[in-house]
Amino acid sequence: MKDMIHEAGMHSAAKMYVAEYAEGKLSRREFLTRTTALGLSAVAAYGLIGLPAPAQAQEAKVGGKIRVAMEVKGTKDPRLADWPQIANVYRGWLEYLVQYNNDGSFEGRLLESWEANADATQYTLKIRQGVTWNNGEPFTADDVVRNFARWTDGNVEGNAMASRFPGLVDEATKTMREGAVVKVDDTTVQLNLTASDIAVVANLSDYPAAVVHASFQDGQDPASNAIGTGPYIPQEVAVGQKAILVRAPNHTWWGGTAPLDEIHYVDFGTDPAAMVALFSSDEVDANYESVGEFIDILDGMDLVKEELVTASTIVVRMNSSSDLYKDKAVRSAVQLAVDPKVVLELGYNNLGKTGENHHMFPIHPEYPELPAQTINPAGLMPALEAAGLKDTEFEVISLDDGWEAATTAAVQAQLKDAGMNIKHTVMPGSTFWNDWQKYPFSSTTWNHRPLAVQNMSLAYTSTGSWNETAMANAEFDALMTEALSIADADKRRELAAKMGTILQEEGYIINPFSRSLFNHHKDGFLGLAHHPAFEHHHYKWSMA
Amino acid sequence: MGLFVLRRLGVMLLTAIALTFVVFYLTNLQPNLEKLARTEGSVRMTEEAVQDWIAQNGHSGSVFMRYGQWLGVVPGWTYTDEKGQMRGRCFEIGQDAAAAPNYCGLLQGNWGYSTFFKTPVMDSLGEKLAATGWLMLAVMLVMVPTSLLLGVLSGMREGSATDRTLSTFSIASTATPEYVSGVVLVALFATAATGLSPILAEYGLIEPKKTLFLASATSAMDDITFWNFALPVMTIALYGIGYIARMTRASMTEVMTQQYIRTARLKGVPFQTVVMRHALRNALIAPFTVIMLQFPWLLNGVVIVESLFNYKGFGWTLVQAASNNDIPLLLACSVVAVVVVLLTQLISDIGYVFLNPRIRLA
Repeated sequence: MKDMIHEAGMHSAAKMYVAEYAEGKLSRREFLTRTTALGLSAVAAYGLIGLPAPAQAQEAKVGGKIRVAMEVKGTKDPRLADWPQIANVYRGWLEYLVQYNNDGSFEGRLLESWEANADATQYTLKIRQGVTWNNGEPFTADDVVRNFARWTDGNVEGNAMASRFPGLVDEATKTMREGAVVKVDDTTVQLNLTASDIAVVANLSDYPAAVVHASFQDGQDPASNAIGTGPYIPQEVAVGQKAILVRAPNHTWWGGTAPLDEIHYVDFGTDPAAMVALFSSDEVDANYESVGEFIDILDGMDLVKEELVTASTIVVRMNSSSDLYKDKAVRSAVQLAVDPKVVLELGYNNLGKTGENHHMFPIHPEYPELPAQTINPAGLMPALEAAGLKDTEFEVISLDDGWEAATTAAVQAQLKDAGMNIKHTVMPGSTFWNDWQKYPFSSTTWNHRPLAVQNMSLAYTSTGSWNETAMANAEFDALMTEALSIADADKRRELAAKMGTILQEEGYIINPFSRSLFNHHKDGFLGLAHHPAFEHHHYKWSMA
Repeated sequence: MGLFVLRRLGVMLLTAIALTFVVFYLTNLQPNLEKLARTEGSVRMTEEAVQDWIAQNGHSGSVFMRYGQWLGVVPGWTYTDEKGQMRGRCFEIGQDAAAAPNYCGLLQGNWGYSTFFKTPVMDSLGEKLAATGWLMLAVMLVMVPTSLLLGVLSGMREGSATDRTLSTFSIASTATPEYVSGVVLVALFATAATGLSPILAEYGLIEPKKTLFLASATSAMDDITFWNFALPVMTIALYGIGYIARMTRASMTEVMTQQYIRTARLKGVPFQTVVMRHALRNALIAPFTVIMLQFPWLLNGVVIVESLFNYKGFGWTLVQAASNNDIPLLLACSVVAVVVVLLTQLISDIGYVFLNPRIRLA
């Protein structure tokens, strides 16, 4: 299972990069960044293009502190966490069973290994030996079972994990099914699913899946009861201001010694212009993310740039519960009136790759190659006329700032050019997210997920918890159910092709591009490579 | 005098109750509660989950009863979930519910728990008020002497070249709102690419790629320096300087036309002594009121400046509380605002008596 995702995750795209490198389209450095981002080790990547790998870096130096500019949001019960920034703070002391690395691979953390049966209905989890909580208690199979019970509890409002393990849940009580998660012995836990699920391991690595101690109460702030297995503890979490992680006292971390002594998160707001000033006045060592035109500016400041090509994307979607968009012909005409190339250039400065209106990208193992859609702005007005919407004023809603607004404006401008009477309304984040699933026409950012079917099942199945289009296509639902039982990505690709075609034809979404993600840090720090899900792996950080 | 102060305190209490109820009512409107549920629970909660969250976290029922809980005259809410775990107004998750008091509102000295900061309101607000206090102190230290000096200088010889120059400056500075002057100051003094910093760097007066001043005052929370504090202080002070200077000038010109000033001049008293001994005290009565009025106005000015310079004081807290619908924090902020406004008015009324013996407090 582990190897399957790993290999499938890299090969199709990696081959493409080898070809591009051979044709001289990619530089060596770019090739390495991209292939290692796909899950190859640097050695293997060098091997692909026939070069010897350089000697590996020596042991990380212990000591030092780092100041990272990041929004400091209030920590909350991990399963309710709704921002990676929240998780990045409690990651200091809470760890995960499995970790998704930025090379696309899954690495066991609190698990030593795992195995799945042929149709992905049964998983055997082997628990790592010698892990202790920072209060001295050993980490055991009971801890794992208890955490599964927390994750599967659908009675908790906003439990982000509840919908991740449908095969473990008793539908009647909305809690963990009897016999679903079984402690075999002290180091082994068995998951017995009612249906195939290929995303179990990926879900265990997602940021709400942090493993908490038995004394943690539901709904509690983890910072107020910082018992965890990780190397750090929170010294201070001041929301909106700063969070300081320091080494956990009297705690032997199973992973050895984490290099840095202290990690300071400082909240300077989200204005990217402020980040430039902060770097130049030496108030921060690293930032959370560099965006837009500020990437170039920061490049010019003697900083180290970290780049990662991901499947993070933006979806400008229509919602068919609105009368305006209930007609498939209207949606399709709107979708095809927008040229992704133009949106990528105007909205995101060409810092990504164009998408194909089906929310799948080459980095996904099951990415299918579908015939290119024909962009046809001329087809928009006849379709609106036929639906009696010729003179209707349309509205597209987005966040008020940054690339989300620019991208949405680029979409609006193209629709306007095609003759549609459409205005662009912007909202601040504090109000925008209140109704994000209900707007008739708006843009939503979607984070990278390792498998394409993960996003698609959340967003486009009729029962998906983050369905923001009101799409309910029985054929799509059936295909998704089937796809979620096929562990082999090559076999799953046929179904992905069909689902992609349905998504394109339904016309709900304009999915113009996937983003490259960037962050910057001062020279002298190591291990701060960007992560597709914005995860901070503190133990990898060190001073040079 | 004692009765006067007591009456004023009574008015203050009534105003505080009225204002907090209005704020309470507005923050407890259904859409605001839904917003709170989404930030506190999870952004991606469903509609039913939001309603459940509101009911299970003490935000349902009559608005008067909930206001009563905040005041401490109605018992705090409790909720027992399906696993038998209790949560409530008067105790934190994990604490023993049986040992907690029934009432825990203002009367019991409990200002509530800030949902945004995750700390008791008193703790976070106290710290933020202290930060804003430092900012206001610095502003007052710059603003009051400068503006009085400018006002007196231009007011003592009306129509002179000094008067015209200083008046132009005052009008220009008071006509520029903070969100304009702040941005202009940052562009001039605190960017490595534009304004003065690159020029100074070229002459080797400051290090290359460094700036003259800092565009963010976040570090001033821990350690105030000229470098990180100058710009926010100047931004607020500039507006006030012009305003107070204009008031002082008007008052000064009026005093300078009085009979007794002419008499003093005719007696042969030097001009300097006339201004210092005879004119100044009478000319300062009007500016004194204006300066006292600046305190409540500063509270509102810091909202913009603290957000602009990322200084985490009262103004910034107010913005965060409002955008996250943090009910207890907003209520406490309104109480602070009422107290500051009415207290400065009280001080200004009492101060008036000392400056002008003709006025008596009844």
